[in-house]
Amino acid sequence: MRVRILQIVTVIAALGVWEVVARMGWVDPLFVPAPSAVAPALLKIGRGALAGLADTLGKTAVAYVLSVVLGVSAGVAVGSIRLLREVLSPYVIAFYGIPKILVLPWIVLLLGYGTTPAVFYGVLHGFFPIMVLVMGAVRDVDRTLVAVARSLGATTWQLYWKVLLPAIVPSVLGGMRLGVVFCLLGVLVVEMFAGVRGMGHVLGSYANGFQAPELFAATALVSAASIAIVLALDHLNDRLSRWRG
Amino acid sequence: MTVVGLRLGLLALFLAIWEIAGRKVNPLLGVPPSAVLPSLRDLLLLRSYPDLPASLWLTIREIGTAYALAVAAGLGCGFVLGMHRLVGRAWGPMLAALYAVPAVVWYPSLMLFFGLDAASKIAFGFLLGFFPIALAVLAGIRQVNPQLVVVARAYGAGTATVFRRVMLPAMLFTLVGGLRTGLALCVIGVVVGEILGSKAGMGALINHAYGLLRTGDYVALVLVTLVLVVGSDVLASLLERRARRWTE
Repeated sequence: MRVRILQIVTVIAALGVWEVVARMGWVDPLFVPAPSAVAPALLKIGRGALAGLADTLGKTAVAYVLSVVLGVSAGVAVGSIRLLREVLSPYVIAFYGIPKILVLPWIVLLLGYGTTPAVFYGVLHGFFPIMVLVMGAVRDVDRTLVAVARSLGATTWQLYWKVLLPAIVPSVLGGMRLGVVFCLLGVLVVEMFAGVRGMGHVLGSYANGFQAPELFAATALVSAASIAIVLALDHLNDRLSRWRG
Repeated sequence: MTVVGLRLGLLALFLAIWEIAGRKVNPLLGVPPSAVLPSLRDLLLLRSYPDLPASLWLTIREIGTAYALAVAAGLGCGFVLGMHRLVGRAWGPMLAALYAVPAVVWYPSLMLFFGLDAASKIAFGFLLGFFPIALAVLAGIRQVNPQLVVVARAYGAGTATVFRRVMLPAMLFTLVGGLRTGLALCVIGVVVGEILGSKAGMGALINHAYGLLRTGDYVALVLVTLVLVVGSDVLASLLERRARRWTE
C-alpha cells in the first residue's frame, strides 16, 4: 500500500518538476515540451500514430512468432545433440553478442525498404536470446531423468515429448518474455533507419521536423504499449507457473 | 580436436557458400569475402578513409564517457534503491518496467535534445548501460545475508568496514556481471546512435560507405568496428575474472 502511494507520488512529482522546469524556461520548449503540451499532442497525433503503432506491432508479432518457433526448435535440436552443441555454440554466442546494427545496412541493401527487412531484423534480434536460453536448459536437463526414461524403454520421441519438453518450459517462457522486447526493438530500429511506415518512422519524422510535443507523445505511446505487452506476458507466465504447480 | 576441426570446417564452408552466392547474386550487394580483403587493406592503409583513426578515437571516447557516466549513475542509483527498503520496493519495479521498453524509442528525443554530435550518442550509450548496472547493484544487495551485517555491526565494525568486508564480497559476483553487461550495452548504444544519425565516428563512416554503395568498404569498416566491440568485451571479461578471483 505504501509502496503504491510512493510510486504514484513519484510519477506526479516527476511530472510536476518537469512542468515547472519547462514553464520557467530552464529548458528550451522547442526541445523539451511541458507535460501540459504533450497531453494535447497525444490527441492530435491520435489516428496517424495508432496506425503506425498497429503497423509496427503487426511486424513485431510476425517476427516474434518466427523467433519463438525457430528459436525453440533450434535450441532443442542443438542443445540435445552433443556434437552439434559443441561445434555450434561459439558461433551462436558470437551471433548473440555482436551488435546487429552493424549488419542492418546490408540487410536493407539486400531486402529493400518495407516489411521484409523489419521482420527479418526483428527475428535476428529475437531468435538468439531464445535459442541460447533453450539450448542451455536442454543441456541442463537432469541426466538421471533421461537415463531412467531410457532404461524403462522410452523411445526417442517419448524422451523429447515426455521428459525434455516439460523440463524446459520455464526457460521457454523466460525466453518468450525476453524475446518480445528484442523483436520490437529490431522492428523499431529498421523503421527508424529505413522505414516508410510504422512507429519508428513516425518517431524519426517528428524528430526531424522538430515537433517535440508530438515526438514525446508518440514516444510515450510506444513505451506504454511495450510495457503493457511485457506485463501481460508476465501475468500469463504467473498463471502458467501456478498451473504447473 | 575433432570439434575444433568441425568448427573451422563449418566456417570455411560458410565463407565458400558466401563467396559463390555473393558473386552469383550481385558482387556489389553480395560482397563476397574475396572482395572484402582488398577493401580491408585499403582501409587499414588509410587509403579509402584517411580519417579512420580520428573516427575510431571519437567512438572510443564516446563509449568511455557514456560508460563512466553509466557506472557512476548506476552504482549511485542502485545503492540508494538497495539501502532504503521502501524506496527500493517502490522504484525497483518502475525501473524494471522502464527497462522493458525498447530503448531505441528514446533515441529520437535524445537526438532532438542533444543534437547530431557526440552528446546524443553518449546519452544513448549511458541510457543503455545504466539499467543493467543499477539492476545488478539492486540484485547484489539483496544477496547479502542481513545476519552477517548485524553480526559485523555487533562486533563493532563501522559502515565502511561492513561494506568492504561483508557486503562487497557477497555481491561482487552479480555486480561485476552487471558492469560487464553495462559496458557491452554502452558500446551497442554508441554504435546504434552513430548509425541512426551522426556526422562523425565509425557509424558515420559506415553510413557513408553504405550510402555510396561502397559495400566492400562497408564490410571492412564493420570488421574494424567489430574488433572494437569484441576487444572491449575481452577487456571486461579479464577484469571480471580478476574481480572474481579476489572474492575466493
